[in-house]
Amino acid sequence: MTRFIVRRLASAVVLILVLSAVIFVLQSVSTGDPVKAYLGANASPAAIAAERQALGLNDPLPVRYVNFIVNLVHGDLGISFRTHRPVVTDLQTFLPATIELVIWSFVFAVLLGGIFAVSGALRWRGSSIFRAPLLVLATAPPFLLALGGIVLFYAQLGILPANGRGPGETGPTGFLLIDTLVAGDTAGFASAAQHLLLPAVVLAIAPAIAIGRIMRSSLENTFGADYVRTAESKGLTPFRVLRRHVVRNSIGPGLSMAGLQLGFMFAGVVVVEQIFSWPGIGNYLAASIPTSDFPAIAGVTLVLGTIYIVANALVDVLQAIADPRLNA
Amino acid sequence: MLTPSDDRSAASISGLTLSLERDGVRSNVLRGIDLEVLPGEIIGLVGESGSGKSVLALALMGLLPERSNPVVGGSIRVAGVDMVDGRPDELRAVRRDELGVIFQDPMTSLNPTMRIGAQVTESSRNAAESLRLMSAVGIADAELRFTVFPHELSGGLRQRVMAAIAVAGKPSLIIADEPTTALDVTVQAQVLDLLRELRDEFGCSVVLITHDLAVAGQIADRIAVLYAGRIAEIGPAADVLHAPTHPYTVGLLRSRLSLSTPRDLELQTLRPETASAGERMLGCAYHSRCPLAVPECRAEQPPLVSVAAPATATDTETAFENEPAATTATATVTAAAPAPATSHDRACWRSVDDVQGFIHTGVSAASVLPVSVSGAAREPAVRVTDLTVTFSLKTGWRGRGRGGGRTSPAEVRALRGVSLQIQPGEAVSIVGESGSGKSTLLRVIGGLTPATSGSVTLAGGGAQMVFQDAGSSLTPWLTVGEMLRERLLPLKLSRPESQKRIDHALTAIGLPLTVARVRPSELSGGQRQRVALARATIIAPAVLLCDEPTSALDASLAASVLNLIREMRKELEMTVLFVTHDLSVARLMGDRIVVMTHGEIVEVGPSADVIERPSHPYTQALLASVPEIGVLS
Repeated sequence: MTRFIVRRLASAVVLILVLSAVIFVLQSVSTGDPVKAYLGANASPAAIAAERQALGLNDPLPVRYVNFIVNLVHGDLGISFRTHRPVVTDLQTFLPATIELVIWSFVFAVLLGGIFAVSGALRWRGSSIFRAPLLVLATAPPFLLALGGIVLFYAQLGILPANGRGPGETGPTGFLLIDTLVAGDTAGFASAAQHLLLPAVVLAIAPAIAIGRIMRSSLENTFGADYVRTAESKGLTPFRVLRRHVVRNSIGPGLSMAGLQLGFMFAGVVVVEQIFSWPGIGNYLAASIPTSDFPAIAGVTLVLGTIYIVANALVDVLQAIADPRLNA
Repeated sequence: MLTPSDDRSAASISGLTLSLERDGVRSNVLRGIDLEVLPGEIIGLVGESGSGKSVLALALMGLLPERSNPVVGGSIRVAGVDMVDGRPDELRAVRRDELGVIFQDPMTSLNPTMRIGAQVTESSRNAAESLRLMSAVGIADAELRFTVFPHELSGGLRQRVMAAIAVAGKPSLIIADEPTTALDVTVQAQVLDLLRELRDEFGCSVVLITHDLAVAGQIADRIAVLYAGRIAEIGPAADVLHAPTHPYTVGLLRSRLSLSTPRDLELQTLRPETASAGERMLGCAYHSRCPLAVPECRAEQPPLVSVAAPATATDTETAFENEPAATTATATVTAAAPAPATSHDRACWRSVDDVQGFIHTGVSAASVLPVSVSGAAREPAVRVTDLTVTFSLKTGWRGRGRGGGRTSPAEVRALRGVSLQIQPGEAVSIVGESGSGKSTLLRVIGGLTPATSGSVTLAGGGAQMVFQDAGSSLTPWLTVGEMLRERLLPLKLSRPESQKRIDHALTAIGLPLTVARVRPSELSGGQRQRVALARATIIAPAVLLCDEPTSALDASLAASVLNLIREMRKELEMTVLFVTHDLSVARLMGDRIVVMTHGEIVEVGPSADVIERPSHPYTQALLASVPEIGVLS
């Protein structure tokens, strides 16, 4: 088992290196002169040349890649052309908001998906009242859901806010729910939760259906399995059969899908953050792209890619723990 | 007749009827079953697929599949609890305390993600007891095995684990549903012995469900033969096997392949079913297949009555006057076992005399003349030289591809230097247990698996393969006609020409031409295997490779498919390689038998020699494990 985990994590590191190389190549072949973008359109040619030299842009490509990696390891992703601050600083500012949003959204997705799957597989009476609307909502693109949610809960009912994270102060972790709680700011906490609810749910619906459908079909397969019949023949209660025999054996496909969806959610967060004016990296990225702010774009891409790779590595490890045959 | 709920019995079934829904169609699966399972007895429930034997097991456990919307009539009592209308918690308590179950396939019946010990302990409820039980069912090193997962055990050990689960909590009744069918023949005998030991040691009753009369005959005290949801015949095992009184039992016994089945005659089969479901409901369900049927059989269902007290008075007289053998048999039964539950009963309008007279009727089976195999002068049809195949079990998450890579693969040597020459027109059976490499050898010859080293040479004409599971080897969305036409594409025939070839192929396999418009899902298992054969032979191959083509079929169907293969071999002058785990089938299908174990050939010889004078200890062990009934008395 340990060998399996070590190997899997090692291969994740290799993937991240490949990702960094891809980003570096994209950056170096991209049109648009980053120096001009950095110094402004009115900079003198001499100043531009000097800056090019200073940034190391005149070095040969392999040297620049090595520098890029060395800097990366030292936590240096370069200076944003747009904000003129280190990209790492920018990420520290914006990333926690995004992670907080996505994590809660992911929790909702797994919960909703889990209920969707179990209620469907066990044929709970009346559970289609829950599943049908979810299926309908999942057909709408996230921006439509977001706008609809704002119109209904903010404009009409006035029970949920429409933008931002709320008035609470972020503290050391950058996660508003935790920081306000640590600071004893209950009003701030409540407001933060209110602000989080709508964007998190909007972002969760499509992944919830993806996870739910996969889990439902794998639950149904497992319910038909011979060993479930064996478990029933032991006289176990239905709940115990479900918990000890069904869930663990059907979790694999659900885990895979959840890992994929977590990756997609970090990518899909851009639109949702825009609509809800959520101060996260989605917004940051959206502002960086029009200005060809390559260090920022590269930084965000690297972080999102790394999260994606790590999430899927974790999924593989979890699957191996759930099913001992996988690492045989 | 029996009293519905005898306090002495481990289980009592009376007037049980059951219908299930499949794909929206409701069918009567059980149609009136009365059965007492006495304490400490082993009762064999024997029937072909569709006889309702497995559903009866599920009904005994109160575990009928809810999705099939079961409708149950009559009653089932286990340990005094009504398993039909009882409360769910009552049924659970019965399953926990009174019942133990052993299913067919121990690989799929054990939870793959749970340690063995935990699975046993769910039944025994404490680890020390689990260890004791595991040792008791013959699992060596129980402590070591306690913490492993099912996939780390052999098939025989897994079935022992199932047995440990079944006997946990001292059940009064063990239900074993085809407990040996998925196991190798040498392991089968052990599992049957184990069942008998469990009965002797724990004093529980055993309901042994099987399709094979011989398996039931090995350990059962009584045998009940099920046909279409009714008991056709029930009685002490020796009587049912050696003095059968129902034409269906006789048919089963005759179509059963054994080591003494005549090799040069066509194999005997039951007639195919021709009555519709509705017609079968009216009279005796077996009437359209029964060689002894009279008009009465079509009109009214025969009741299950004692052999000693036949259905009609006239029958009694003829039976007892003209058939001394039967009289003796039944007389012994009545004398030795006065209890009603051990009497010999049958459901047939014909007299015992008529049925037992039929046993001895000469069979007008066509002779299968041996195909003359030419001498060694000709170039062999198949030449296998020093063949090895090594599979690498890639570890880790990139478990695809083979060989190479930085990971250190665990290797399985499926074939270790196999050499074999097969003459044109010769039929060779390859026998071995699972993991012997017999199927790998066939797949390499067929070009489906690459050789690691060594060589395979086919002398022109190409090879075609027929697989065990015809259901999954036929493309589900193509009609039979389309599949056959696909094989003809290389010949670039005109449409009428290819249609003629298809019609010819279907006629050759004994199916109506209308089958061409049907998809595989609408065919029965035997029909599917015939279609697979038609697909393999529509362009006659030089070599036909058969990988256990009949092991998933009922005995009679299997016999008819074997007949067909032998016929086609003669007609198309094919070389046949026939892989099987069953020595009696190997003997019938091959001029020579090749015995394999652990990737090596341990014995080769003419079939009769190998069966009569096995030289290798492994062949001897295989032969000793074949369940036999002996010739019908």
